[in-house]
Amino acid sequence: MPREIITLQLGQCGNQIGMEFWKQLCAEHGISPEGILEEYATEGTDRKDVFFYQADDEHYIPRSVLLDLEPRVINAIMNSPYANLYNPENVYLSKHGGGAGNNWASGYCQAEKLYDDIFDIIDREADGSDSLEGFVVCHSIAGGTGSGMGSYILEKLNDRFPKKLIQTYSVFPNVDEISDVVVQPYNSLLTLKRLTQNADCVVVLDNTALNRIAADRLHIDTPTFAQVNQLVSTVMATSTTTLRYPGYMNNDLIGLIASLIPTPRLHFLMTGYTPLTTDSQVANVRKTTVLDVMRRLLQPKNMMVSTPVQRQGNNHCYISILNIIQGEVDPTQVHKSLQRIRERKLAQFIPWGPASIQVALSRKSPYVQTAHRVSGLMLANHTNISQLFDRILNQYDKLRNRKAFIEQFMKEAIFKDSLDEFDNSRESLQQLIDEYNAATKPDYLTWGSQQAAAL
Amino acid sequence: MALRKVADEQLQTVSELLYRLCTKITGLNGGDVVHHVQYAHTICSSQTSTKDEDEFRIVERLKKQLVRHGKERDAAHFADLHRKLQSQMLLRNRSAILKLLQELSSLDDQSQQAKVSRIGFATHGIPSHLVSTPYNAIDVRGIKPQERTSALTLSNASHYTGGSSGISSIRSRDFSGGDAETLAQSFIPSHLATPALGLNRPTNADPHANRLRTVSIFSRHVENKENIPSSQQAANSLPRGTLTHQGDRTTHQPTEQGILKDLVYVLQGISGHWIKFDTIADAYKVDNESGIPKVYKQELLKISECGWLYMKIKSYIDHHSTDKAFGLVGQSFCAALNQDLTEYLRLISILEAQLQQDLDPGMQETSNLTLSRLRVWTFDPLKRLKWLAALVDTCKGKKGGALTSTIFSYTHHGDPSVKTLITHLLTWVSQPIYATLLRWMYDGELDDAYHEFFVASDPTITNEQLWRDKYSLRKTMIPSFITMDQASRILLTGKSINFLRQVCEDRTPTKGREVAMNLDLTQAASMFSQDQNSDFQQMLDKVYELTSQHLLEVLQVKYKFLEHLKAMRRYLLLGQGDFIRHLMDLLEEDLAKPAGNLYMHNLNGILETAIRATNAQFDDSDILRRLDVRLLEVSPGDTGWDVFSLEYRVDGPIRTVFTPECKITYLRVFNFMWRAKRMEYVLAQIWKNQMCSARHLKSIPELSLILHTCHMITTNMVHFIKQVQYYINFEVLECAWDELLTKVHEAKDLDYIIAAHQVFLDTILSRCLLNDKSRDILQLLRTLFDLIIQFETAQGVFYEAVSSEVLTREIFEKSKKDRTLKGEWETNEAIEKEEKKRRKGFLSTIIPSTRAKLQVLSTAYQDTVEQFLKMVASHPDASLRFLCFRLDFNEHYKVREPRGRSSYLRAK
Repeated sequence: MPREIITLQLGQCGNQIGMEFWKQLCAEHGISPEGILEEYATEGTDRKDVFFYQADDEHYIPRSVLLDLEPRVINAIMNSPYANLYNPENVYLSKHGGGAGNNWASGYCQAEKLYDDIFDIIDREADGSDSLEGFVVCHSIAGGTGSGMGSYILEKLNDRFPKKLIQTYSVFPNVDEISDVVVQPYNSLLTLKRLTQNADCVVVLDNTALNRIAADRLHIDTPTFAQVNQLVSTVMATSTTTLRYPGYMNNDLIGLIASLIPTPRLHFLMTGYTPLTTDSQVANVRKTTVLDVMRRLLQPKNMMVSTPVQRQGNNHCYISILNIIQGEVDPTQVHKSLQRIRERKLAQFIPWGPASIQVALSRKSPYVQTAHRVSGLMLANHTNISQLFDRILNQYDKLRNRKAFIEQFMKEAIFKDSLDEFDNSRESLQQLIDEYNAATKPDYLTWGSQQAAAL
Repeated sequence: MALRKVADEQLQTVSELLYRLCTKITGLNGGDVVHHVQYAHTICSSQTSTKDEDEFRIVERLKKQLVRHGKERDAAHFADLHRKLQSQMLLRNRSAILKLLQELSSLDDQSQQAKVSRIGFATHGIPSHLVSTPYNAIDVRGIKPQERTSALTLSNASHYTGGSSGISSIRSRDFSGGDAETLAQSFIPSHLATPALGLNRPTNADPHANRLRTVSIFSRHVENKENIPSSQQAANSLPRGTLTHQGDRTTHQPTEQGILKDLVYVLQGISGHWIKFDTIADAYKVDNESGIPKVYKQELLKISECGWLYMKIKSYIDHHSTDKAFGLVGQSFCAALNQDLTEYLRLISILEAQLQQDLDPGMQETSNLTLSRLRVWTFDPLKRLKWLAALVDTCKGKKGGALTSTIFSYTHHGDPSVKTLITHLLTWVSQPIYATLLRWMYDGELDDAYHEFFVASDPTITNEQLWRDKYSLRKTMIPSFITMDQASRILLTGKSINFLRQVCEDRTPTKGREVAMNLDLTQAASMFSQDQNSDFQQMLDKVYELTSQHLLEVLQVKYKFLEHLKAMRRYLLLGQGDFIRHLMDLLEEDLAKPAGNLYMHNLNGILETAIRATNAQFDDSDILRRLDVRLLEVSPGDTGWDVFSLEYRVDGPIRTVFTPECKITYLRVFNFMWRAKRMEYVLAQIWKNQMCSARHLKSIPELSLILHTCHMITTNMVHFIKQVQYYINFEVLECAWDELLTKVHEAKDLDYIIAAHQVFLDTILSRCLLNDKSRDILQLLRTLFDLIIQFETAQGVFYEAVSSEVLTREIFEKSKKDRTLKGEWETNEAIEKEEKKRRKGFLSTIIPSTRAKLQVLSTAYQDTVEQFLKMVASHPDASLRFLCFRLDFNEHYKVREPRGRSSYLRAK
């Protein structure tokens, strides 16, 4: 089966959202927690093979690799009903078992040492697919394993599979609450460098926004990890529906992201989802139209990235938008909705090139009942994301200027000789921010010329 | 009574006037003039009764009288005067005055009888008043008063020699309450009787008297003929003789019986003794030698019209009943006409029998056919025959449905009897049509050897084309009582059955067929009485619905129409995205080759692989079996991309929907979409190259501008192609498909589905810019596609050069390290210089050339896009503006248009 995607779940956070993602996928494809195709799942129009491979007629196994440096989350998975879903050979726990101690450098260096073991698994998975499309990496950028090990794996994946796409679902730390991970800015910065340089597409999942959404939209005072992760899994599952339910368009990952990402670096995507409900909420079935969904998706409160939304003053704009709409949709409505949005100028687009809202209609799983007739996911490339990086940069600068906690990093091999890596990463991030800012201006077309002239 | 009074008063005034007149003329006074007054009275009364008298006859008589007396000159003078009088128009009652003059002239001749007459006159004054009494009584009995009066008074007048007898006869009649014998006798001498006298009394209560009266008329004429110069006396003496000596006289003269006999023949279309058929005039003519007076001739001819009509109808029947090609409808028409004629002949035979009885002296008083009776008898048949003949006339040369239409047009006649007649006829005539119709609608069999039915079948058409071409409507044969709508519905129903039987090989009989087939054919009437009841329409609707429903069911269940339709969409319209993607991946290498180097078996193998590797494998094997590769005609210079096409083989009944023409349309659409899809993938590949190259090209920062330009061009192209694809996806496929599916589900018959499918294809064609109106736009789109390919090549060349440069630099760095390892100097000035020179040389060749190339490409691309947008925006098909709208969603192109960018670029 062509265009397979291998999922790599790294660290505590990565494995948690990964597990939720697979739960969702199993439900949508009618696969039991044991990986057995349910009897009711007879409809053969869904494409399970992108994310699963078939062990035998009825048995589906996720193309997933679970990696962690500490056993807690993976053990939890192994004790859950989904224990038998995964290929046990794909579950890798560091023998050391001590974790990365929320230290990027530790994670990075441990991964370096585990390179052979890890890539044995990845190679085997890659060999098991006919024409691998790419990798999806789930991780957080704030911790140790997800960020450090993730960074290392991103670099190595690039080397090893130069022609394969790498998409990441990266969880950004919550800035609203004081984190127990004090070195978060360091970890984030260092990871962002890899995400900028080594990944093709990064779906930003901002914990700040996720918690806010959980609290505001779902009316949960203190959202649990599981609840937030459910949001994440919904986003992940929905963003892959066009791959799993093939139609005329967007049947492969590259087709999906190529139109969203204009230049190699501007590949950080925001997401928005509507309508948001949790299981506990009484399903309030409303007649939702395509226009409703598309309009709501453009509202900042539904965005899963907490960038201060400024309508005034700055020129931040959408580079591209892709709306994946699921449910019973009258295709003739799509055009009308687009027209309405354009008339009201609900979305501000780049001044230097053509851009529009892409709308993909996708089938909904027949096995999962939802309260809403129509739901929509937005994947958007917005220049405003640079503010998120700006925030991280600022936090980093504060720490760095005080040289706080730097010794933890200097213990590891990568920083033994120098702290250049920090500076490199900072520069890389600054360039990214600069490019995003440049993309808000009409002269972005000739953006390279200034750089060239500077040389 | 009031009337009586008025009449009396009038009489009084008339007497007064007469009195004055007589006094004036005679110059006598008082009692002396009374005689004259009385005489004048008599004359007046006789005059009023003879107002019907022919002026000409009186004049002739007067002239003859003058001639008889040897006064030829006077006669000539009289004629001259009379002519003058005629031309003057001064006198209204010329004939009356002439009559008076005649009477006065005869007065001289009979002067010796003057005394007697005077007595007669004297007595007459009073009884003339009395006359009105019996006459009124008769009036009550329904006999036309005037004729009666005239008859009575005339008899009085003519019998003035025996005036008392005249009065007594009236009296006796009065007392006896209309004794026929006396009454009849009193009529006998009435030489002035009008032809209408007997004939106009069809309902006379006493047929015997009637008959006698009629006879008397004839006899009078006979006498008239004999002695034209003879005086009235001769006429007066004759009547009884005529009656008694009738038999002897008819041997050489036509008697009523004889004429009746003749007429009976004529009524059957056979020429009689006196009344003969004149072929030249195409009419019956009374033999001039027969001695039948003119007035009666008219009567006879009137009756003989029946015979003429009969002949006409008969000849039509005779002519057509032998004509095989005239068909069943014509035959029924003939049969119906025949039935009517038989009925008519039966009447004639009854009449004949009556006549026979009359001629038979033994049965004298039992039967009584008279001319007037005959006329009465033939009154209805005449009318009937007239209508039939009219029908025959208008139906000449028509047959089948056209014939029924013609007949039907007469059913709206206001006269109910005509209406009944025609309706009856129509019922007969439409029976064969109804029978054929039932056979056609229930069995699909066309029992129409004579091409009378309005459904025509072309036996040369094969089953493949059965639905489309085999059956058609014969417009001229559609009876006018069947609407066009019904006719096409009937056609459709029968066609559906034939389609089921012959193409779908389904032999399930239509529900209710048995019942319908055993139905009375008189149900045919329901066809043309649709304005009264809807039985026929209901029957049509029911059978149509049952059949069409069954046909659709067979197509859906047995022949999986919808599955095939969906399969066409999945494969020919690229709906099965994963399959198409994989197929293109696998074919890429092959299709890049020249078209002539393609091998079907290779391509088929690839197709097979693509099916097995994707979700297509879950499709019905029957559907997959039909999927095939088709190579279009190769023209020089074509690559595999230009000729490759997918094909979906259809057979059996569904070919009727998916005709070869439809398949060509699908092929064209596939080709267009396949190209668009290829562009999407080409661009995805370009994008991926950029992403991957970006990582290692960072080492050459001088290239960043070119790279950025590449990215920008790519972004524009990706946007363009993506939006074109979204447009195809939504505006072209989804919307049209949605409509098609709705229509297929609500379809009541196959035609509806075929039409919906055609609309679907047409919509797609026009929206994919594939119809003639969009040729220029399509050409621009092709140019854009070509530019994308050119860009791919250009970028490929650039990346290859740059990659090798990167490699060279890596080798250089490596050699430096190698030298260090060997203990040599890592580098020296010469090496550095050489390397620097090499690098500079590389950059100075690659950068300007690539930049120029990209500039040209970019400009051409931008211009073409703008031109394309302008053309699309002004395209007559509004749905194409959706494309424009999508492509320029953020008004990027509109913004630059006013600035006149294209001219600026050209100037540059």
